[in-house]
Amino acid sequence: MTVDAARRRTIWQIALLAAGFVVLVAISVASILLVSKTREDSSWVVHTVEVENQISTVLLEVRRAESATRGHLLTLQQQYLDEYDAAVAKVAPAINKLAAITTDNAVQIENSKRLREVVDARLATLARSIDLAKQNNIPRATALQSDANRATTNQVADVANAMRAEEDRLFQIRTATADRSQLLAAIVTTSGSALVLLLAGISIYLIRQSANAREKAEQQLRDNNANLESTVETRTADLREANEEIQRFAYIVSHDLRSPLVNIMGFTSELEELRTDIFSRIARYSRAAATELSLPVPVGESDPGEAPELQAEDKQLSQDFSEALGFIKSSIGKMDRLITAILNLTREGRRDFHPVPIETRELIETIISSVAHQASESNTQIRVEPLPNIVSDRLALEQIFSNLIDNALKYLTPGIPGDIQIKGRYKLGFAVFEVTDNGRGIDPKDHKRIFDLFRRAGIQDRQGQGIGLAHVRALVRRMGGTINVTSELHKGSTFTVTLPTQWNFGTQGKVE
Amino acid sequence: MSLPVKIVMIEDDEGHARLIERNIRRSGVNNEIIPFTNGTDAVKYLFGSDGSGVNHKDQALLILLDLNLPDMTGIDILKRIKENEHLKYAPVVVLTTTDDEQEIRRCYELGCNVYITKPVNYDNFAHAIRQLGLFFSVIKVSPVQP
Repeated sequence: MTVDAARRRTIWQIALLAAGFVVLVAISVASILLVSKTREDSSWVVHTVEVENQISTVLLEVRRAESATRGHLLTLQQQYLDEYDAAVAKVAPAINKLAAITTDNAVQIENSKRLREVVDARLATLARSIDLAKQNNIPRATALQSDANRATTNQVADVANAMRAEEDRLFQIRTATADRSQLLAAIVTTSGSALVLLLAGISIYLIRQSANAREKAEQQLRDNNANLESTVETRTADLREANEEIQRFAYIVSHDLRSPLVNIMGFTSELEELRTDIFSRIARYSRAAATELSLPVPVGESDPGEAPELQAEDKQLSQDFSEALGFIKSSIGKMDRLITAILNLTREGRRDFHPVPIETRELIETIISSVAHQASESNTQIRVEPLPNIVSDRLALEQIFSNLIDNALKYLTPGIPGDIQIKGRYKLGFAVFEVTDNGRGIDPKDHKRIFDLFRRAGIQDRQGQGIGLAHVRALVRRMGGTINVTSELHKGSTFTVTLPTQWNFGTQGKVE
Repeated sequence: MSLPVKIVMIEDDEGHARLIERNIRRSGVNNEIIPFTNGTDAVKYLFGSDGSGVNHKDQALLILLDLNLPDMTGIDILKRIKENEHLKYAPVVVLTTTDDEQEIRRCYELGCNVYITKPVNYDNFAHAIRQLGLFFSVIKVSPVQP
């Protein structure tokens, strides 16, 4: 699975979570709003009921006043008069309250105003009847009552009915509104919950998919690791085989090259012998010819033990002959040395390492004591600083450092006291050694070359085959390390050798 | 009465053979030298057609052997010589370019009497062969026992 897909999935998950959160918040807010709306609507419903109640109260009090008045007119008892007063006293506050609670509706304001008027009118007729009764004009009062009764009572009833009707209408509207609010709240809550559940479901699905993908990736990783290990092993084996092949090849080639060389050298030497014979014969013949032509040779003058003198021309020939043979022989010598060097290198490459813990400083001091004579001759000081100890092959280390120290001593600047310093330190599981000199230095363009076989740099005034550093590099590489040089002409050189502190059989070869 | 010692030279390089012969002669050894340039002919001569080596029953032999032969390795020949009841008393001188320590050890293990590496330097080569010639002139070679 690709990184892109994984990233997309992560973004999706975050988006889903965010969406879920937003939905939750929205549901909460909507619920709160709807609940308060519902409560408000309910309170309006209650309010309607209250208004109807109040209308009834007003009407009740008016009726009480009427019946008290009627009672008084019939009996003229003080008891009814008191009741009338009490009822009248309650009417006004009841109407006021009604007016107060119906301020929300223009129609009802108007209605309550009219109610007040008709109730006031009704009460006024009642009051007049009471007054007439007090003046003992009972028939008149009764007549007034029955006259007025019809008109005002009907008016009161009409207005009250109108108000009730209005309130009923409002009640219906409000109930509907309240129901709607409640339904809405229920719908919002339910659908919100469903949405949240859906999101949660999708999230779970995505997470499971993600987990599956991770599981798969981990499996893949494990497989890859296993594969990698076996691949590395195979490659290492291949490399080792190839390397051994090359070593065998070099070994055989150098051997087979040697055989003809023995012949060339042998017969060249035979030719040299022949040359001596030939030229002494030429000398004898030419002298014999000379003596025949001129004076006879005096007896006793010829000395068979002594080589006869050659003529100038023949002498030149003999010298040319010698020169040619000399070149041939020196070339063969050189070739022999090169072949021997290759042989030694391949033999070194075939040698098995024997890793042991090594006191590096002690090892280097042993090397230094073996070159002490050369050092004192060139007035050179060799300083060794504390060095990290490592587990490695003793012989290989000796060869590496004695080559480097030999080189440092060999290529000093003439006339300047030498100063060779050997330093070391640990670095991430490796030991880093530095061999620094103040010698003639190496041109940066030659830094790569000097590690190649048979290649040398700078003035060729010292004996050497160009093998030492090639050998050192081969050894360091075989031991799993690296070697570098930093140098400038006339400013000395520093060779840095990095070697593993612990022996690793996987990469550095097996132990016997 | 035993016959004079014969020198069997098994050397594939004719140049080497010539140089060896010359230097042996120079050291004053005049024994017959029988040269072979390949392993097959040498084996045929040494062991005869029946492979028993009975032809050399009364013959004192000295064998000069090169290890790098075109058709077989000298070590095989050395092994057969030292395993043969008629030839095992014959001194074998291994004369070769190989100077591998393991090779040398193996030859001595198999019963080689002298192992000489051919030096490229001719003076050394000539010297080594002349020394060998002197060695030949003084060595007592036992004829093959009946």
